[in-house]
Parts: sequence; C-alpha cells; structure tokens
Amino acid sequence: MSALDPSIAEQLAQDLPPEDFRRIVETFEDDLGRLAAELERAGLAGSLDAYRRVAHSLAGAAAAVGAVMLERTARVAMDPRSGMPPAQMVPIIRAQAAAALQELAVLAARAGDDSAAP
Amino acid sequence: MTTPGGRILLVEDTPTQAEVAKAHLRELNHTLRLAETAAAALEQARAWDPDAILLDLELPDGSGLDVLKTLRQEGFEAAIIVITANASMTTAVEVMKWGATDFLPKPYPKAKLVFTLQNAMEKRRLVIENRALETELRAARSGAARDRFHGFIGASAAMQAVYRTIESVAKSRASIFITGESGTGKELAAEAVHKVSERRGAFVALNCGAIPRDLLESEIFGHVKGAFTGATDNRIGAARQADGGTLFLDEIGEMPLEMQVKLLRFVQTGTLQPVGASKPEKVDVRFVCATNRDPLAEVEAGRFREDLYYRLYVVPIEMPPLRAREGDPVLIARTFLQAFAREEKKRFCGLAPEAEAAIRDYPWPGNVRQLQNAVRNAVVMHDGERLEAAMLPAMLLRALPRAVPAAPPAALAVVLPQPLPEPVLAPAPAPAWSVPESLVPAWSPSAPPEPSPAAIEIQPLWKMEKRLIMAALEQTRQDVPRAASLLEINPSTIYRKLQAWRSAEKPDG
Repeated sequence: MSALDPSIAEQLAQDLPPEDFRRIVETFEDDLGRLAAELERAGLAGSLDAYRRVAHSLAGAAAAVGAVMLERTARVAMDPRSGMPPAQMVPIIRAQAAAALQELAVLAARAGDDSAAP
Repeated sequence: MTTPGGRILLVEDTPTQAEVAKAHLRELNHTLRLAETAAAALEQARAWDPDAILLDLELPDGSGLDVLKTLRQEGFEAAIIVITANASMTTAVEVMKWGATDFLPKPYPKAKLVFTLQNAMEKRRLVIENRALETELRAARSGAARDRFHGFIGASAAMQAVYRTIESVAKSRASIFITGESGTGKELAAEAVHKVSERRGAFVALNCGAIPRDLLESEIFGHVKGAFTGATDNRIGAARQADGGTLFLDEIGEMPLEMQVKLLRFVQTGTLQPVGASKPEKVDVRFVCATNRDPLAEVEAGRFREDLYYRLYVVPIEMPPLRAREGDPVLIARTFLQAFAREEKKRFCGLAPEAEAAIRDYPWPGNVRQLQNAVRNAVVMHDGERLEAAMLPAMLLRALPRAVPAAPPAALAVVLPQPLPEPVLAPAPAPAWSVPESLVPAWSPSAPPEPSPAAIEIQPLWKMEKRLIMAALEQTRQDVPRAASLLEINPSTIYRKLQAWRSAEKPDG
C-alpha cells in the first residue's frame, strides 16, 4: 500500500517546478526528523499536551505533501481516546515517515527527469 | 508580463506547510512574509499592514481564530483566508462570522490557493474602492450644495476643497498651519477647525503680531504674581485658557525667535511654565497657526525656526484669494448687502447686473475684507432697491468692459472744485495681494476722468487736505459723519482739523 495519496503528492509535483518540489521534500524531511524526536521526548516525559501538539504538527506536515498514512497515524496520536501509548505509536510514525520520504524522493527524481526531458 | 503584487502574510507554524504555500505563490509576484505564532502574526500585521493573510487556525501559542477576531476588532481590512486541516462546517461558519474573507481546507492544490487568494484580494480591493467612491460622492454632493460652512460664504471649487480639508483634519490632534493673503479668512478657518473638531475646551485666538514682544510670553503662558513689575496678580495665559480646546496663533511669523524656542518646547512636551512659576503645567492644546507670509521662505531667511516649522506645519490649509474663488465675490456681496441693509435700515435687496459684473471682475487685492468694506460703504452712502454699479467704488468700475451710468447726483459723490489727484496709492488694480488694505481706497471719485499727473496743480499737502475735507462737507451739507465716511476717516479727525483751522484763522491775541 502506498504511503502517499497520489492526488495530492503527484499533483504537487506536477504543479511546481522540480526545484520547488525538492525543497518541499527536504523541508518535510527536516520536519519529520525534528517532530519525531520531539514526539519521542514528549512521550517519554509523559507530557500529553506536548505530545498531542507535536502530533498535530506532524499531521499538518504530512497532509501538505499527501503522506496520508502518516497523517492518519499522527491524528490517532492526537486523539486522547485512541488509547495507543506513545511507546507504540512513535515507532509506527517513524516507519511511516521513512516510507513517505522514500516515495517522495522517487517522485522528486521523476519530476526532475520529466522536466529535463526534451 | 508581471503585475504589481500584494503583501501577503502567511501565518503557519509547520515549515512544510509554509514551504508548500510559498512555492504555490512564488509566480504571483507577491511579497510574502511568514509568522509562525499568533503573537508574531499580530505583530507583523500591525507593523506591515498586509493586503492578505493566510491564517492557520492551530498555532503553538494560541488560536488563529483569536488572531482573526483581534485584527478585525482593530479594524484591519486585509483579506484573511483561514486555512485549516479541521475543515468542519462549524469552523467555517465561525471564522466567516468573525470576518474571514474565505476559508480553505488543507491540503489544497495550487490552483485552489491561487484562486482563493486572488478572489479575496479582489474582493478587498473592491470594498476599499467602493468605500472611497462613496466618500467622494458624499463629498461631491455635500460640496455642490454647500455655499456656507461654519461662517464661510462661498460655493467655489477652491472653497469646497478648504471645507473638505477642514472636515477631514479637524478631529485629528495634528497641528494645522493656515496660510493665505490678508482678508482671506484664516481666523475663520481656525474657528471652523475648532467647531468641527468637537474639542470641548475653548477656542483662544492670539495675534502674535499685535502683542509687544515683552508681553508675548505672559500672554501665551500666563504669569504668577510678582513675576515682573506690574504683575500684581496671577494671570492665566492663552494656552491654559485653551486647555482641552484650540489655541490659534495668528501671524506666527511675527513671533520673536527667543519666543519661538519656548513655543517649541511647549509644542513638544505639552507642558508650559507661566512666567515666574517654578513648576511646569500640563495642558491639552490643539495648535492652529496662521501667517500671510510664505513660512518656508521665513525658515530659509532665518526668521522662523525650522524645528518649530516642522512641528506646526503638519496639516497645511491654504486659503484661496478671493480672485481665485469663481462666483464667490457676488455671493458674498449679496450676503453682505442684506446684512448691512438691515443694519443701516436701507431698502437694498439685490445687486444690479452691472454691479454684479463689476464685483465679479475686480481682482480684490484686499480679499473678503475689502469686499466687505466696499459693500458697507455703498450701503451707507446710498439707498434704493438695488445696489447699482455706480454706487460701487470707482476702481471696480474701471474693471468693467462697458460704460456704467454715473452715480446719482447730489450728495452721492464728491465733486471737487478742482481736479484732484487720484489717490497716489490707487493706480489700476494691482494683482499683487500684498498691497495693504489700508492703501486700497474703498471709495474714490467715480465719474470724472483721471487727470494726468502733469495736470494736477501741486499744492502743499495741508492745503490739498483742507480742500478735500471742505469739499466733502459741502457735498454732504456739513454732515460731518457722512463726510468722514466719504473720506474714509474718523469724524473726530474732521472735528479736530476744523478746530485747528479755526484757531489758525483767529487773529493773535
């Protein structure tokens, strides 16, 4: 199953010049690294407010690039009724983030190739 | 082709989201700024006054909805597009209720963002344009209908501009600097500013040119008992009297430089120190100043302090000379005619067409004050249903293109036994406004042609004066007040001269 919603991610790649799309992917990667670390820290500290706030940012970043799986998981993390403890949630989020980044990298490479084609 | 872009404030705390929005908008030639918190959003909006704000609802330090409410309550007119991932109908209704221009759910494709933003900016532009047009229309309507404004009489375009300026600046606390020739109504403009301002304090006018320089400080700031010889009591100055109101400093260009320093301190600090007092006092005064000189030229000549000029010359109002107020001289003359006829118990109820033409065509170097004198003179000297051209001062008639019937005979004109020189200071009407009014006669012999200077029999001045006074008395059947009015002098002058001549005629001893 794809980590990305093609109607969003591919549309983004088509709408924007390749360098802009690549910049977005790089920014997303930075966001993921930072937010995943913050999420882990908040989970370990038992700070639920901070945990939910970081999960919200993560969901927003994921939604922007069409990383739907990650977005959904982040929204579950935001919901206090989900009952999923941070210790279980963080590894899932990290795995989904890696999958989304991999697919986005492929998309970025293809966008670059398409634009270079005569 | 690039079109001039707008200022867009992007309020977004997630860098990926911000990067996507920036990339979407890159081609649109807008200037984009980013705020990552609610506090930063408010600060940037206030400082930068963007045309549009893309506002995320979930911010780390608060809600975007609160930012929206605050900005709208503060009167911000920027197009605000709320962007959120929680795109429920309730949220949409709530943000629209609080004045959002539009609502955009995340994620959004480029076309949707661009379309929403351009639409919102266009809507904002139309609202602003519409309001400006409505204001203009209101002003035009009221302007067309206005021939009176807080004591002014005048329907000319030049005066409509003055009325509009007064209305738009009166409620501000900004200092006003009125310039214009003598007799153009500078004090009336200052009073109008005060009336429209709704300031509750008094309007206090002070003519800086009419007060001896030693007394000026005390007149403006007051003094305490014993401050100087003659200060037998505490005295409140004009500035204190104008507390909460308006202080009008007329002929400010006449203020001595050392006094300008003190006035500057007062303008800067809002505090004054009465002469001899030990403590400064706080007052709330709105300054209106006037001069008939060119204030900048006075600064350049070193007669007026530059720093004071910039403090006071915030909103300039230039009073147009009467010659630049098309249609107004006749309108004003009619008003004066009615008022003076009532006052003098005369029958006048209108102006003859030739009189109107003469009034319309004359350049009025002494402005409204000169016109007022001319009409008053005619009303005092004549009577009838209509004020005829021949009843007006001769200099007006010279401006007429065709002949005007001479004034009625008898006491209505001074006919001199011999040709007299036209007053040397009344040549053909000079356009220069700087001719002092006192040098422009409101009445001069009308019918006889002017003798050339060579034809005048030169006699000692006292003899000429005596002949003229005696002729006036003869024409008025020894009515001293009327003769004095004809000669534009005080009746007491005639009595004094007569007494002097009689004494001189008496044989010694």
